[in-house]
Amino acid sequence: MNKSLLGRSIPGDSLLHRLDARVKFIAAILLMVAILSTRDVRVMAVFVVWTIALMVISRIKLTIILRSIRPLVFIILFAFLLHVLTVDGRTIVQIGPVAITEEGLFSGSMTALRLILMVVNTSLFLTLTTTPLAIADALESLLAPLRYIRFPVHEFAMMMSIALRFVPTLIDESVKIMKAQSSRGADYDTGGPLRRMRGLVSILVPLFISSFRRADDLAVAMDARCYQGEVGRTRLYTSQLVMRDVLFLAVVVSLFVLVFVSRTLLPTVSGIMSMVF
Amino acid sequence: MIQPVGAMIRFDNVSFSYGAMQGQRPVHAVQNSSLSIKKGTHVALVGRNGSGKSTIARLMNGLLLPDEGLVIVDGKRTVDEDSLYAIRKQCGMVFQNPDNQIIGTTVRDDVAFGPCNLGLPVDEVLRRVDEALDEAGLLALKDRAPHELSGGQKQKLAIASVLAMQPDCIILDEATAMLDPSSRHEIMTLMLELKKTHELTIVQITHHMEEALLADYIYVISDGGIAFEGQPSQVFEQSDRIRREGLSVPMHLDIAHLIREHTGVPFNPQEIITFEGAVNYVRHALGYYRELATSEDTVTAPTCVPSEPFAHEADQQTDVIEVHNLSYTYGTEIGAPVAALDDVSLAVRDGEVLGIVGHTGSGKSTLIQHFNGLIPSEEGTVIVLGQDLSRRKVIRGIRRHVGLLFQYPEDQLFEETVALDIAFAPKQQKRSPQEVERAVLRAAERVGITSILDRSPFELSGGQRRRVAIAGVLSAEPDILILDEPAAGLDPGGRDALFADLMTLAGEGATLVIVSHDMELMARYADRVLVLKEGQIAGVGTPEEITSSPEFLEQVYLDVPAPKRFLDQFKDDYPNLNTFSFNACDAARALIAVSVPENTAGGSHE
Repeated sequence: MNKSLLGRSIPGDSLLHRLDARVKFIAAILLMVAILSTRDVRVMAVFVVWTIALMVISRIKLTIILRSIRPLVFIILFAFLLHVLTVDGRTIVQIGPVAITEEGLFSGSMTALRLILMVVNTSLFLTLTTTPLAIADALESLLAPLRYIRFPVHEFAMMMSIALRFVPTLIDESVKIMKAQSSRGADYDTGGPLRRMRGLVSILVPLFISSFRRADDLAVAMDARCYQGEVGRTRLYTSQLVMRDVLFLAVVVSLFVLVFVSRTLLPTVSGIMSMVF
Repeated sequence: MIQPVGAMIRFDNVSFSYGAMQGQRPVHAVQNSSLSIKKGTHVALVGRNGSGKSTIARLMNGLLLPDEGLVIVDGKRTVDEDSLYAIRKQCGMVFQNPDNQIIGTTVRDDVAFGPCNLGLPVDEVLRRVDEALDEAGLLALKDRAPHELSGGQKQKLAIASVLAMQPDCIILDEATAMLDPSSRHEIMTLMLELKKTHELTIVQITHHMEEALLADYIYVISDGGIAFEGQPSQVFEQSDRIRREGLSVPMHLDIAHLIREHTGVPFNPQEIITFEGAVNYVRHALGYYRELATSEDTVTAPTCVPSEPFAHEADQQTDVIEVHNLSYTYGTEIGAPVAALDDVSLAVRDGEVLGIVGHTGSGKSTLIQHFNGLIPSEEGTVIVLGQDLSRRKVIRGIRRHVGLLFQYPEDQLFEETVALDIAFAPKQQKRSPQEVERAVLRAAERVGITSILDRSPFELSGGQRRRVAIAGVLSAEPDILILDEPAAGLDPGGRDALFADLMTLAGEGATLVIVSHDMELMARYADRVLVLKEGQIAGVGTPEEITSSPEFLEQVYLDVPAPKRFLDQFKDDYPNLNTFSFNACDAARALIAVSVPENTAGGSHE
């Protein structure tokens, strides 16, 4: 009930699960940029097909995938409405001073679709099929060149992985504290902003205090197990890229290229629009 | 410095203070202590909360360094920075809080953490991970995330993680304090097995005397020093001294002591250290006493304080909470939903003390959260003080009357002073400042914390903070108080004092619902006991009814209360023996009463 999807991967054995986390990380970023940059309906259609294909390949239940969109429903709706209400063009319906235009509907739908595709792609690559630890490892590996400018790459990755490890613990804890304060009459749903702020204090203070205590305990536990930073430490996961990783990356890169090629080689957006409508 | 042969850990006049470095007023945690722990032995450090046990443990592997004196681990001094790494590799440590010592995001990664730090080759790391997980019985859970494990499994993981570093010594710093009895038992069994197979030295910090009993040697820690020490038989022989330290004497020893006191039949402390040994002694002593007593005229009861049924002004006729056919299912992201409650019906009567017992995961916590609407009922009805909680509007009002305390309630304290924290509930009820003040004072009085109202809750001891949290619920002046495992983590003295306070509340007419997995505690204090098993009610009745069948208790994964288990051994000797005793004194009195034929009718209760 109170187990958030945050930081939880769904175990599986699909192609998507087995891909190297670094490849998935790069793929997620490339696709995010590509989807954001697309102005072309046909390219967008390609991405829709691509995303559906990924969903099938991942063998993850549709309901779980859709749940990852849930936190963003309002943003998506907001973006859609903003476009619908502000873009000028040929009017379809006029309600008082507000005109809904063809162009507005079109660009609103494109924006909403773009956001949905982005979220689904990223969650399929990262949150759903990759364990937090693999993400942290991938990040450490990808950031490795930054060592040359003295960026503490190992420490950063260790912090990430510990943070991920404690997400579920802290969620459970905050639920517990909230229930405890509710039992003492705290009310987090009604009352003015000041009262709500005050209510928040009764959750955040205990949560902070316990987090500090946890951090303290954990530091001692790490010390006790001979942690001395990166020097002399065995790296457990030193995975090599295999053929499927390379091939997959090639597909993603070509999708990425397609977006930018389409801008110059294919008809412009307005051209497409005149074809559609 | 001459190292005695075979010493794993040695303290030479060690002192340590907290805060000395930061220029604050130093708190002397350990003072001028010396001890020596032989290789391959199992040593227990016992003492009340805040006695300095954990500080001593952290001095043992250089997590803290002594201000004065020396700590020597297998010939290496912890003050030598070059030795620290080797010392920690040799002396692994398992801590109290299962959640705060797991570093890896999966079971496998956590076990690998230590060996990776040692810089071992990958193959060796993986081999050790499998080996350690196998020994701890966790191999099947290798890919699980830590938060998917139970408390007991987490502690086993912590042990496996230490084991993978191949230590010579494992220090358990209250490693079982946050576990239920069956997990505690499993951890102890595992440790004793590992001690044998790996020739480990075990240093165990605990306030569970049943665990200390398993040790070869005991140090009793008091105020940062060693109060006394010896083999378990020597230490527990000094039962008054043990109790003065806020600790307890294991039940079978306690009964044997009382019987000795009364019959005058001596025993060899070494012989009664086991349960069977104590039973044999008592049988022998009673036989002797029987012969002796028949020649005398009167038989007296042992001089000790028997339990007395506390006075209730209870109206046992009215039901304050009614639950009808309640079911509740937890949805999970992956896998099938889990039924936490399955068709539960019960009634809590006005003014009673109801104990709800059950193993971990039996649905206790889910059930009590229905009592004040924290969990809305999905199926079935919950009626509290005549109000149906399915009407969401009544819930805020109901929470004034139903106080609920979760486990470790001190985690919810957040105000600057104790008084402000206690005032939170009455303030939420928008009562006048005078009324709030009165409520705070009254609540503080009832748990005996009026002297610390101006202090910050964060500088108090664990037992005091627990009381502050309880006062924080009492200040709302609830009619019904629900407590989840109120004595968790407290030492025996603190636990008894807390329960005495709770019983005073009950005496004043409050209805108490106490959740626990400790059958013995519930049998001692509750009017009625309700047993949950896998989300269903397995039984409900008086403590006598519930504990009468050992087979039933086994079915619901609960222990037979120790005094009763002891008395059950005498059923064949004395068919008239009343075995329903829930403390040592009652048990001893029952035994003495039946041992003399003429006196059997007299009974043990006068």
